[in-house]
Order: sequence, then C-alpha cells, then structure tokens
Amino acid sequence: MAARETNPNFMNGVPQLLILSLLQQEEMYGYEIVQAIRSRTNAVIEVGEGVVYPVLHGLERDGALTSRRKAVNSRSRIYYSVTPAGSHRLADLSEAWSNLAAAIQRMLTGGQHG
Amino acid sequence: MAESFDELRERLLRAGVAPRHVRRYLAELADHLADLRAEGERAGRSRAEAESAALIRLGGMDDLSRAMIGRRQFQSWCVRAPWAAFGLAPLFLLAGAYFVACLILWSGWKFLLPGANSPFVRLDGFAILYFGAGRTLYYSAPILVGWGIGLIAARQRYKALWPAVGWVLIALIGGTAQVHAGRPAAPGGVGDISMDLTLGPSLHGVSYGLYHALVIFALTVLPCLVWRLQKAHSLPA
Repeated sequence: MAARETNPNFMNGVPQLLILSLLQQEEMYGYEIVQAIRSRTNAVIEVGEGVVYPVLHGLERDGALTSRRKAVNSRSRIYYSVTPAGSHRLADLSEAWSNLAAAIQRMLTGGQHG
Repeated sequence: MAESFDELRERLLRAGVAPRHVRRYLAELADHLADLRAEGERAGRSRAEAESAALIRLGGMDDLSRAMIGRRQFQSWCVRAPWAAFGLAPLFLLAGAYFVACLILWSGWKFLLPGANSPFVRLDGFAILYFGAGRTLYYSAPILVGWGIGLIAARQRYKALWPAVGWVLIALIGGTAQVHAGRPAAPGGVGDISMDLTLGPSLHGVSYGLYHALVIFALTVLPCLVWRLQKAHSLPA
C-alpha cells in the first residue's frame, strides 16, 4: 500500500509562500519584506524579523530567488527577486494552501460527509 | 550589539554553519537592525530605546541561531563530510603540488639540461630559478596544505580530531615522499621522474622519513596551536 501523502512541507512553507508572493510583485530587501508582511496582514502574521534571512537564503540556494547588491542612500542592500522556478514554486504552494484553507473552512462551517 | 553578534557568530560556527553563510547572515541582520533603529528614532524614541526595541523585534539569540542551524543546506563540508574536507582534499592537493613539482623537474631536465644523465647536477643561470621553484613547491607543499587544514579548522571552530588526522596524513606523506630520476635509456634522451614513499635510512633506530614527518607535523600544527592558545587567553574570565 502506498504511503498516504501528508503536507508537512506545506505547513513549514508558510514563510516561503508569503515571501514568494511579495517578491513576485517587486524586488525587495529583507527589512522591506518583513514590513510588507506586517502591513499586508494587519500584523496578524508577525515573525521574529531576523529569521526571515535563513528563509531567503534557503530559497536562493534552491534557485527560487536571485539576489543582487544595490546601493541605496549610500547603503548597500541585498535585493531579492523571484526566478521562474520560484514562480512555479509559488503556484504550487498557493494551490496547496488554497486547498487546505478551503478544507478547513468546510470543517468550520459544518460541511457534510460524502 | 557587537557582542550579541559575536556570540551569534560563535554559536553558528560551532554548530557547523559555513563561514560564508554566517558572514552574510550577520551582515544582513546588522543592516536590518540599523533600519529598525532608524524607524524607532523617527518615531521619537531615544537612540537607546530605539536600539533595545529593535533588538527585540529582530529576534532572540536562540531563535536567530536555531533558524540557521536547523537548515542542513547551510552546513559546511567540514561538518557534512569531515573525512573529505580534512582527509581526501588535502591528499589531492598535496598530490597535485607534487605532480607540478615533478613536471617542473622533468621539463627543466629536458629543456635546460639536455643530455645530462640526471637533473640533480650543478646548475647555473636561469636553471637555478627554474629548478628552485620546483624544489620550493616540493618542500613547502605539505606545510602549506597543513596550514590550510589549520585555517579551515580555525574558521569553523572545529575540534581537533579530524584536522589532526589530516595533519598526520600530510606529515607522513610529506616526510616519506622521495623523488627519483631514472637515467635516459639512450644517450641524449630524457630519463623519467618517479616518486615513492619510503622511510629511508635510520638514525638511532628512527628513520629519516619519520624525523622529516615529525618536523612537518610540528610546523603545520604550531600556528594553529598558538592561535588557539591566544584565543583562550583573550577570552574574558
């Protein structure tokens, strides 16, 4: 019998989903990303701000993001943007999240079996 | 704040995170902290208040280190495969250096000493420089490779076991390696260069090869030992 597929990666993938979704629209640096997550989620989702960098570096190593150094106001910043592979990953994560959210919504609203 | 980042750096390095990832992480954290502090100051806080609020928002030491340590993809090769980093890689490097040294010896014999029965003869002019480069590479290679092992171990705050394995291997090979030049088969031809590992003649029951290996071992370990002692003394009590 084949093992039933679970979605632990998806549950761990929420920060990736948020970051990829933001960077799909425009390139940003770490501080901007965290502030954008705070403001666009009305601070419902708040992260220890520094922990965003391991996620960014991991996505970059996986080829989902690229980075470039840019001088802004005499400071050098690392800007991140999404690669085509990152866009695919975002689509996958978004679909998985939508399915899960819909399933939970059905549970909460008392959806019927069968 | 510098102390906090120093502590974070030490934690990450000791946990096996590759130095280049640690460097980049800390640089981006420092930038992020500066942005948070500036935001606090713009909101009317004093510098000290802004700094302490910024540190809280940045995240605690445990969270910041765990976020990085938990990802295997950031671990250095010294941690993932110490046998390769401290065993195989130094051996390949040493073999490469010996190959180049032998190539210099062979080419010098062919082009600078045509007709000579051996490359180990009295030299003059450019030949002194050419053969000198090969000889320097041959004798310095084990020491340079050993220093490389020490440098990597120090950067990674690595415990002594695997670096010691690398040092012993390098010292044994460096101490027992010998170059031989075979006479040309025909007059005016070029002979061949070969290498082997041999302990050589003995002095007081101990072979010259082992003496040589001990000298190489001492020379390679010494800088790392001095660095560790200095670091231990510089740490606050």
